[in-house]
Amino acid sequence: MIKMVLKRLGQTILSLVVVATIIFFMFRLMPGDPTAAVVDPSISTEAREAMIQRLGLDQPLYQQYFSFLSDAVRGDLGRSFYYRRPVMEVIGDKVINTLMLMLSAMLIAYVIGILVGAYLAWKRGSKKEATLISIALTFRSAPTFWVGMLFIMFFSFRLGWFPHSGMRSSGYEAANTFEVFFSLDFLRHLFLPAVVAGLYFLATPLLMMRNTMLEVLGEDFIEMCHAKGLKEKVILYRHAARNALLPVVTTGALFLGQAIGGQVLIEYVFGWPGLGTEIIQAAQRHDYPLAQASFLLIALMVMIMNFLADLLYSYLDPRITYK
Amino acid sequence: MVKKRNIVAVLLVLVLGLIVVGCGEDEADVSVEGLTQVPEVTMYTTTAEYDPVRYEAAFMVAENWEELGVEVNVRPLEFNSLIERVFDAEEKDFNAFILGWSGRIERLDPDMFLYSNFHSSQDMPGGNNAYGYFSEEYDQLAEAQREEMEIEERQKIVHELQDMLAEDIPKIALYYRDEYQAYNHERFDNFTVMPGEGIYNEWTPVEIEPLTDDTVLEIASTQDLDTLNPMTAQTVWEWKLLRLVYDKLVRLSPDVEPTPSAAEDWEIVDDVTVDVTLRDGMDFHDGEAVTVDDVKFTFDYMLEWGVPYFDTFLNPVDSVEVVADNVVRFNLVEPYAPFITNTLAQIPILPEHIWSDVVDGEEITHPDEWDNPEPIGSGPFKFEYWRRGEEIKLAANEDHFTPPKIDGLLQVLYGHAEGVLGALEQGDADMNAWRFEPLHIEQVRELDHLTLTEAPDIGYYYTGFNLREAPFDNHDFRKAMAHTVDYDTIIDALIHGYGQAGGAGAVLSPANEFWANPDMASYEFDLERAREILEEAGYTWDSTGRLYLPEE
Repeated sequence: MIKMVLKRLGQTILSLVVVATIIFFMFRLMPGDPTAAVVDPSISTEAREAMIQRLGLDQPLYQQYFSFLSDAVRGDLGRSFYYRRPVMEVIGDKVINTLMLMLSAMLIAYVIGILVGAYLAWKRGSKKEATLISIALTFRSAPTFWVGMLFIMFFSFRLGWFPHSGMRSSGYEAANTFEVFFSLDFLRHLFLPAVVAGLYFLATPLLMMRNTMLEVLGEDFIEMCHAKGLKEKVILYRHAARNALLPVVTTGALFLGQAIGGQVLIEYVFGWPGLGTEIIQAAQRHDYPLAQASFLLIALMVMIMNFLADLLYSYLDPRITYK
Repeated sequence: MVKKRNIVAVLLVLVLGLIVVGCGEDEADVSVEGLTQVPEVTMYTTTAEYDPVRYEAAFMVAENWEELGVEVNVRPLEFNSLIERVFDAEEKDFNAFILGWSGRIERLDPDMFLYSNFHSSQDMPGGNNAYGYFSEEYDQLAEAQREEMEIEERQKIVHELQDMLAEDIPKIALYYRDEYQAYNHERFDNFTVMPGEGIYNEWTPVEIEPLTDDTVLEIASTQDLDTLNPMTAQTVWEWKLLRLVYDKLVRLSPDVEPTPSAAEDWEIVDDVTVDVTLRDGMDFHDGEAVTVDDVKFTFDYMLEWGVPYFDTFLNPVDSVEVVADNVVRFNLVEPYAPFITNTLAQIPILPEHIWSDVVDGEEITHPDEWDNPEPIGSGPFKFEYWRRGEEIKLAANEDHFTPPKIDGLLQVLYGHAEGVLGALEQGDADMNAWRFEPLHIEQVRELDHLTLTEAPDIGYYYTGFNLREAPFDNHDFRKAMAHTVDYDTIIDALIHGYGQAGGAGAVLSPANEFWANPDMASYEFDLERAREILEEAGYTWDSTGRLYLPEE
C-alpha cells in the first residue's frame, strides 16, 4: 500500500512537471502582447519598455522557463502581471466561491443522479424511464446560460423567489466567516446557480449509474437476493447500487478535480464572483503567471482526486487491493 | 522574446511553404495594359465577441470599398493581438484597422488626440502614431499647442490641426456614441451629467440629495476594480472610485472648467512655473493633516517609481519644491498647456506617512505591488471595505470641504448588462456605473421610477490607415475613401441611432465644444463622388470592375 502511494506520488510529480512545461510554452506561443492589458495603449514607449523589463519578459525564454520552474518548486507561483499581486492571493479570493457553487451543484447532480439512475435501471423500458432520461439529456444539451436566463426570468423576475445576481445581498453584514457562507441570504443566492449547474451535470451520473446498474442487476447474486426474499428497495439500494457505484465514483472524483475551474457561463449569467471568469481573463490578458498557476492547480486537483478515487475503490469493492 | 519570434517565424515559413507548394502557380499576372491592380487591403478589427459594433462596422466599410473595385480582407483579431499588430509591431502588416479611443475625462484636453496620435515622434513601435503620418507643419503646430499657455491662442492652433487632419485623412472617425444612464429619482435627486463621464462623475456622489431615509447610494456596475492602489490602477474603473477617496489639487467642474479642490488657488508664474496654494485644514482619513510636504512627496514619489497611467501628465514635471508653508511650486521641463486640467486634476495626493516606507515595510520591489488594503486619502469619501467580485463600500467624510449629503456609497458588481438593468428595474440599484446597451434604452424609458440621462462621448471609434504603403499612401485615394463611409447606416443599424456621425480626421468629438473645430471640411457619403475623385487622379477599372493604380 505505502509503496503504491509512493509510486503514484512520483508519477504525479512527473506529470506536474510535464503539465507545467506545456502550460508555460502554450501561453507564450499565443499571439498578442502581454503588456497590452497591463499598460494602456496610450502610454509612452519608455514606460512600456520599463514594464516589460520589470515583468521579466525581456529575458530569453529558457531563462524565464527555468526561473518559473524553480520558483514553482519553492511554492512561489509569482505575481500576476495584471493585478501585481501574488497569484495565490488572486486565486484564493475567488476559489472558495467557485468551490461553494460547484460542490453544491455536484451534490445535487450526484445524489439525484445516483438515486434516480438506480431507480431507472429497475424501471427499464417504462415510460417513466424515457421521460426522466429525456429531461436529464435536455438539461445536458441546452446551453447553461440559456437555462440560467430562463430560470432567472421565471424565478427571479416573474415570481421574485430568488435573487438574480451575486452571492449575497448588497451591503450585508456578517459577524464571522461562517455567517458569510452559511446564512439564509447566501443560500438563497446559491440556489438558482447551483440548481442550473446541477441539472447540467445530472446526466453523467444518472446515465452511468443506470447503465452499470443494468449490468449488475443481471448478475447471479441479485437473483440470490430475490431468492432470499429481500425487499426490492433493499436489493436495489443496498446490494446492487453499491456494486454499480465504482465508475460513478471515478467520474465524481474527476469532476471534483475540475470543479476548481468553475463554470464560466453560469458564473457569468448569475454574476457569481468565481474563479472561472478570472482564469479566462488571465488567458485573454496574457497574464502568464495567473493563467499558469490556475491551470497547474486544476491539473494538480485532477491528479489528487484520481488518486483518491483509486483508494476509495478498495473500500467500495474489497476485492480490489493495491500491491 | 527573440526565441519566440523565431519559432513563430519558422512555423509561418513552413505553413506558407506548404500553401505555395499546394497552390502551385496561382500567382496570376496582375498587370493589365501595364497597370498594377490596387493591392488587396487588409483591415483589422475586433472580434464580434469583443465589440459587435466595431466588427460589423468593418464589414460595412469594406463593402463600399469593394463596390469601388478594391479587394478587402477583413480580419477580426483578439484584442491584445490587435493592439500588438497595430501599435507595437515594427513592421506594420495592415492597410487599415478599426479601433476606438475611450473618452476619459483627461482626453477632453486635445493634446492626447492631436499630439500623441499624430506627431511624427510617435511613429515607432509602441507609439500611438500607428498610421505613419508625417507632416513637418503638423509636428510644429502640435508642439506649439502643447506649449501655448494662452487658451484662446491654443484653441486657434488646435482648430488648425484639425483642419490639417481633415485634409490629410490619416484616419476617419466613424461614430461617437452617446452614453445613456439612468438613476432612481424616487430615492435620490440632483444628479450631475458630464460629457464623457455620464452621471458617474466626481460631482454626483458629493452633490446628490437623498429623498428617503436610506441614504446609501447603490451603483450597479459590471466592472470590478482591479486594485485599490493608485500607483497600480490602469483603468477608468479604479479612478471613478479612487478619486472619491483621494483628493486632487484641481477638480474639473461639470462644465469641464478647472476649479480649486485641494488647491485653494494656483498662479502661473511663468510658462514653466506654477505655484499652487494648498487649502487649509484638510485631514487625511486617519487624522493626519494634509500638508504641502505630502503634495511634494506624491509627485516626487510618482516620478521616482513611474506610474504608467500618469506617465504623460508627469513627464513635463521637472521638480516640485515647497516655497512657503502652504505653497508648492511646480517647475516644468517645458511649457505644458494641459498641466492644470490634466496633471493637477488627475494626480491624487498620497499621505507621505503611509507611502514613504511601503516598499521597505512590505518587502516588495515596487510600490505598485502593494495591496493598499485600506486606502487612506483625504477625499469626500472614506474607504470602508472591498469584497472582491461583490461590492465596495465608501462612507461619507463629513469633515471634507465639500461634504457629501449621503451617508455612503455602495458599488455592487453584476455579471452583465442584463443584471444591471434588472437591478435598476427592481429598485435594488439607484444608478448604473456605465452606459446602457442600445437595446436597453427603450426599456428604461418605460420605467416610471427611473430618469434616463444622456451624455455625449468625447472618445471616438475610427478606421485608421497605413500611410506607408499603397493604396493608402495616396492622398487622392484617401480622399475618395472618405466619401465611402455611410455614417447614417452605421449609426442607425449598429448603435440604434444613439450616437453622432464622425468624419475624416474628426478626432475631437463635437461634444468637446471648446476644442472641436465646427468648420472642418466634411466628406459626405457619396460613392459616385469617390469614383470621380479616383478617376481624376488617374485610377482606372478593368472590365470586371477591379481598380487599378494610376500610371507611374
